[in-house]
Amino acid sequence: MTSEEIKDLILEIIEDIDDEADFTSLDADQPLRDQLDLDSMDFLDIVMELRKRHKLQIPEEDYPHLATLNSCATYLEPLLKDA
Amino acid sequence: MKVPFLVIGGGLSGLAAAIRVARFNPSVLLLEKHSRLGGLNSYFYRNKTLYETGLHAITNYAGPRDKKAPLNRLLRQLKLQRNDFTFCEQYHSEVVFMGCTSLRFSNDFNLFQSEISGKFPQTGDKLQKLLVFLGNYDPFVPMPFTSAKKFLLQILGDKLLADMILCPLMYYGSSQENDMDLSQFAIMFRAIYQEGMFRPLGTIKDVLDLLVAHLQTLGGETRTSCGVEKIVHHQGTAIGVQLSSGEEIECDYLLSTIGRDETMRLLDKTAATPMTGYGRLGFVETIYQVPEIEATHLACDKTIIFYNDGERFLYKNPEGLVDFASGVICFPGNFQGLERKDLREIRSTHLANYALWKALSANAEQYTAEKERTSRRSGRCLENIIGDFTTNIVYKNSFTPLTIERYTSKIGGAIYGNPTKTKDGTIGFNNLFLAGTDQGFLGIIGSMLSGVSIVNQHILPRL
Repeated sequence: MTSEEIKDLILEIIEDIDDEADFTSLDADQPLRDQLDLDSMDFLDIVMELRKRHKLQIPEEDYPHLATLNSCATYLEPLLKDA
Repeated sequence: MKVPFLVIGGGLSGLAAAIRVARFNPSVLLLEKHSRLGGLNSYFYRNKTLYETGLHAITNYAGPRDKKAPLNRLLRQLKLQRNDFTFCEQYHSEVVFMGCTSLRFSNDFNLFQSEISGKFPQTGDKLQKLLVFLGNYDPFVPMPFTSAKKFLLQILGDKLLADMILCPLMYYGSSQENDMDLSQFAIMFRAIYQEGMFRPLGTIKDVLDLLVAHLQTLGGETRTSCGVEKIVHHQGTAIGVQLSSGEEIECDYLLSTIGRDETMRLLDKTAATPMTGYGRLGFVETIYQVPEIEATHLACDKTIIFYNDGERFLYKNPEGLVDFASGVICFPGNFQGLERKDLREIRSTHLANYALWKALSANAEQYTAEKERTSRRSGRCLENIIGDFTTNIVYKNSFTPLTIERYTSKIGGAIYGNPTKTKDGTIGFNNLFLAGTDQGFLGIIGSMLSGVSIVNQHILPRL
C-alpha cells in the first residue's frame, strides 16, 4: 500500500466507527482524536480493525505512532508494503 | 469443546462484552443459568402479559450529537445504530422529603438548578462550586474511598439538600449503606441529573432480542438454562468451565459478570461460602396495575418519585423486613412518546432485609402473607404521595430479595452487589476477569460499559 492508500484506509476505518465523522477540515499533522472527537475507546477500534483487516499486531507502546494521519502513514507503510 | 472467549452471565454487561469481542473475533460463547437473558433487567409473563423485572428508567440520556456521552460511546463500541432504538425521555422526576420540601429534575439540568436555588436560596453559588468541581474531576482514576456524604455536606453546607441530592443516586446505584464513594457519586450525579432518564419505546425484551440478534450476526452464541458448576483453573490460569450438565468447555479468556463472591464460589467449591448478605442491600419491589379510567387523577407528567418521610434519610439494611420510610415510585408509562394503555402501572421499591426474609421463607404461608402485607403497606405509603389507587388494583406482584436471588443468583438478592468494587476487573488470574455490577459501573448503560471497558482493557489487546 502506498502512503495515500494507507491514509484512505485509516479514514475508511474512522468513518466505519463514526459515520458522521467530518474530514473536510482535517489537518493530517494534527492529532486525529482531538479533531474528530474520538476517545480512547474509539482509538482502540482503529487498532483492532487494522488487526482484523490486515493481521497487523500493533503493540500498545506503538499506539502513539497512530496519533495523526501522517504519522499513521509513516508508521504503517513498511508494515503494509505488501498489502 | 474450546472457545477463545467465554462469558459467564447473560445480563447486560455480559451481552455487551460478548458483542464487543465478537466484533473482532466471532468465536464467543455466553452462558446464562436462567432460562432467559437479561440478568437483573429481564422479564416474565403473567396472564399473557409481559412484565419487566428491573427496569424503571435508563440513566445517562444523551442526544445523538453528544459523541462523548456514555450512551453514544456505548452504541459506537458495540456497533449498534442509534436508530435501531426509539428512546423515550422522561417527563420529570422528583425527590420528595415529606414534611420538608421537594426538588424536581428532568433531562434539562436547568430545572434541577432552579429548583435548588428556589428552595435552598441560602446555598447561593455553592451548587456552582459543586458543578465546577465535578467538571474537573475524573471519577475513573483509582482513589481510596472518599465519603460523598461528607464531601457534599462540606461543599453545600446543608444536610437536607445533601441528603435530597443523594437519595436518588443511592437508590439507583449504591451498594453501600448511608454513603457512597465520591467517584461513584460523580458518575451517578452526571448519569441522573446532568444527563437524565429515558426508556426504550418497547420492552426490555425488545432490547435483549436486538442485542442477541446482533451478537449472532457477528458470529457469537448464547446458551440459556446453562449453569456453570465450577471454573477449572490451574496456577492462576482459568482453563475452562464445567457446566451443571457435566459438559466441559475450555477457553482462552473467561469473563465473569456474576459478581465477585459468586465467581469465587465457582473457583473454589470447598471454600466457605462468603458471608451471605453481609453488608449487602436488598430490596422489595411491587408492581401494581390499575385501570386507566380509575387512574386519571394520578400524575401523568411525573416519571419517578424518590420519597423520604421526614428529614432524616437512612439508606441501610432495615431492622425490620422492609423500611417503608423511604422508597422509589415509578410510573413506567410516564415517558414521552408512550401511548396510554388500558392499565396504568405503578412500581414501588423499598430497602429490605434479606436475612429476615430468608428466615421467613422456611414457612411458605408466612412468607406469602408477609409479601401480601408488604404490597399493601407499600401501596398505602405511595397513596400519601401520589393519591388513591389501591382500591382499584387489578393486578399486583411483589419481589423480595429472595425472588431476586432465585432468578439472578446474586448473593443476598443484592441488586447492586458487593459493597467493595473491583474496579480494575482483576481477581488474581491472568485470563479471568470480572465485569458488571461488582466491577463498579451501575445501571444499564454503566453495566454495559463495564463489559466493554474490561474487554478493551484486558482482552482485546491480547486476542
